[in-house]
Amino acid sequence: MSDVPSHRPDHSIFPKWVRGPQDFVGGLALMAIAAFALWASSDLQGMHGFSFGAGTAPRIFAVLLLVLGAAITATGILTDGPAHATYAWRGPLFVSLAILAFAASIRPLGLVVAAFSSFMIAALGTPETRWKETIVVGICLTAGCSLLFPYALGLPLQLLPSFLTP
Amino acid sequence: MMDLFSNLALGFGVALTPINLGLCLIGALVGTLVGVLPGIGTIATVAMLLPITFGLPPVGALIMLAGIYYGAQYGGSTTSILVNIPGEATSVVTTLDGFQMAKQGRAGPALAIAAIGSFFAGCVATVLIAVLGAPLTKLALAFGPAEYFSLMVLGLIFAVVLAKGSVLKAIAMIVLGLLLSMVGSDIETGASRMAFNIPELADGLGFATVAMGVFGFAEIIRNLDAGAEMDRDLVQQKITGLMPTKKDLIDSAPAILRGTILGSILGILPGGGAVIASFAAYTFEKKIARDPSRFGRGAIEGVAAPESANNAAAQTSFIPLLTLGIPPNAVMALMVGAMTIHGIVPGPQVMQNQPELVWGMIASMWIGNLMLLVINLPLVGIWVRLLRVPYRLMFPAIVVFCAIGIYSINNAPVDVVLAGAFGLLGYWLIKHEFEPAPLLLGMVLGPLMEENLRRALLISRGDATVFLTRPLSAYLLQIAIFLLVIAILPNVRRRRDEVFVESES
Repeated sequence: MSDVPSHRPDHSIFPKWVRGPQDFVGGLALMAIAAFALWASSDLQGMHGFSFGAGTAPRIFAVLLLVLGAAITATGILTDGPAHATYAWRGPLFVSLAILAFAASIRPLGLVVAAFSSFMIAALGTPETRWKETIVVGICLTAGCSLLFPYALGLPLQLLPSFLTP
Repeated sequence: MMDLFSNLALGFGVALTPINLGLCLIGALVGTLVGVLPGIGTIATVAMLLPITFGLPPVGALIMLAGIYYGAQYGGSTTSILVNIPGEATSVVTTLDGFQMAKQGRAGPALAIAAIGSFFAGCVATVLIAVLGAPLTKLALAFGPAEYFSLMVLGLIFAVVLAKGSVLKAIAMIVLGLLLSMVGSDIETGASRMAFNIPELADGLGFATVAMGVFGFAEIIRNLDAGAEMDRDLVQQKITGLMPTKKDLIDSAPAILRGTILGSILGILPGGGAVIASFAAYTFEKKIARDPSRFGRGAIEGVAAPESANNAAAQTSFIPLLTLGIPPNAVMALMVGAMTIHGIVPGPQVMQNQPELVWGMIASMWIGNLMLLVINLPLVGIWVRLLRVPYRLMFPAIVVFCAIGIYSINNAPVDVVLAGAFGLLGYWLIKHEFEPAPLLLGMVLGPLMEENLRRALLISRGDATVFLTRPLSAYLLQIAIFLLVIAILPNVRRRRDEVFVESES
């Protein structure tokens, strides 16, 4: 936290009174999570007598998180802190897509398709990917996984699409 | 004392069976591999390999997972020294002097000292676990729910004090973890909590799923941010003269000893573990050195101390897990997961009911350390060649492995999607300088804390002062408050930050 920028960029989307945007946003997000948890656990039974109900502990933790989130937000207002982070879009997007592709295809299409497709999609996550070598490595990896997981380790994974298997 | 020997004999009997020796070797090798490769950490690896251990006997599974943890500490030092890339967070400080030594053509001695130091630390830690195990277990049996609750509060506070960055944010992460652990069925009433009628959430969020997301996927996404092509400035010259000189040995012996002691202590404390230990050991060596300016220019103590410390800490962190059933860090939390898969509830009763499990694992640690010492130095060349695999090819493979790993835990595609969501959450947390490790610890301790809190209050008939009137519990809470106050005090804070800032680059 030592390298606080003295000249903050003028196009900052935050009003002037937010001196530490990173903490400000972080704290607000935690408060939102806490509020959501309070709402989600509102239908649970509370204390009865001196014994806990199902909802007691979740509500205790949610209230604690709400308070802590507020404190972090206050830190962001009262003290100078790092500027709001910049997010890259490429890595998160394609890694997420690869994960989703795997989840969607593993059941109906089997390990071979799922592993290869999610490997290729994940590889889109960086502009440095060279396609020839990626395809070769992807094929090798898929072959390796198809041998390692179902055969060597005996995990019950289906290899091929279900419409191909008898 | 006789107990100790008979226990160790029992342990070696278990650990020396061919299958367990083989699993120990596999664990140590896989550990070294992930230790060498940057961009994939111990936590993600252990999470990834959890499903693989389904088919193994419980002892074998734990032996292998333990091997990964301490093997990674060995492997991390190799790349730190040779290519200035710490393969593991625990070896970050080793780069400072290790790489300098390599540049001066002394890579061989640096590697050898790191290995010898690690081995010595591993031996000491193994004995320590064996010695402390039984008495701590007895102590644990005297613990009631109030004491357990207070102990966990203390553990979480330790995690806060030792985490880097803001104390407030670390506490917030713990509470977020506690909150996440509440998802799923209530243990006592069976009511579904915050599960939104999603059947996969009825059992709660899988710990491995969250760990893989926050540590595996988030790490990959973060690395991609920086550009996949990492700077790999390999030391080209041949490694000659592996053996350290007599002077090297004399110089490093006290450093190894100090590193081992410091690491052992920090390993037992909750929230600490190997990362803190290596930083602390390095800072300590620099403080007490007659000529501190040598550090950062190839001082052999700067390699010996942190490498001994991280290995010692990696192993002593098993003590609270095995005796109290409380995981002191995220890797140990995953070990809890591995034990639960096999129907073992970690805690003092394990030591009594299944001594062969605990002592077998302890004995295997010593054997594993010996294996690492013997196999690692000759294999250095292979490990370095592995580093030439570019990250652009490595990261999609890690994504696929992680996905297969999570899927095979429950054969549930939803788990994979959840891990992906937690990956994005983890990326967001990193961007906002929230530490994910306390979150994971909170998530593991959450159900235990709730259960003990409930029980304590039920026994005391709703009287919350029970935590202060029971002496042991009151002591534990006092220590916790004391620590928290210290951590917030400004000048300690500054010094604590220095420890991290000094070597973080």
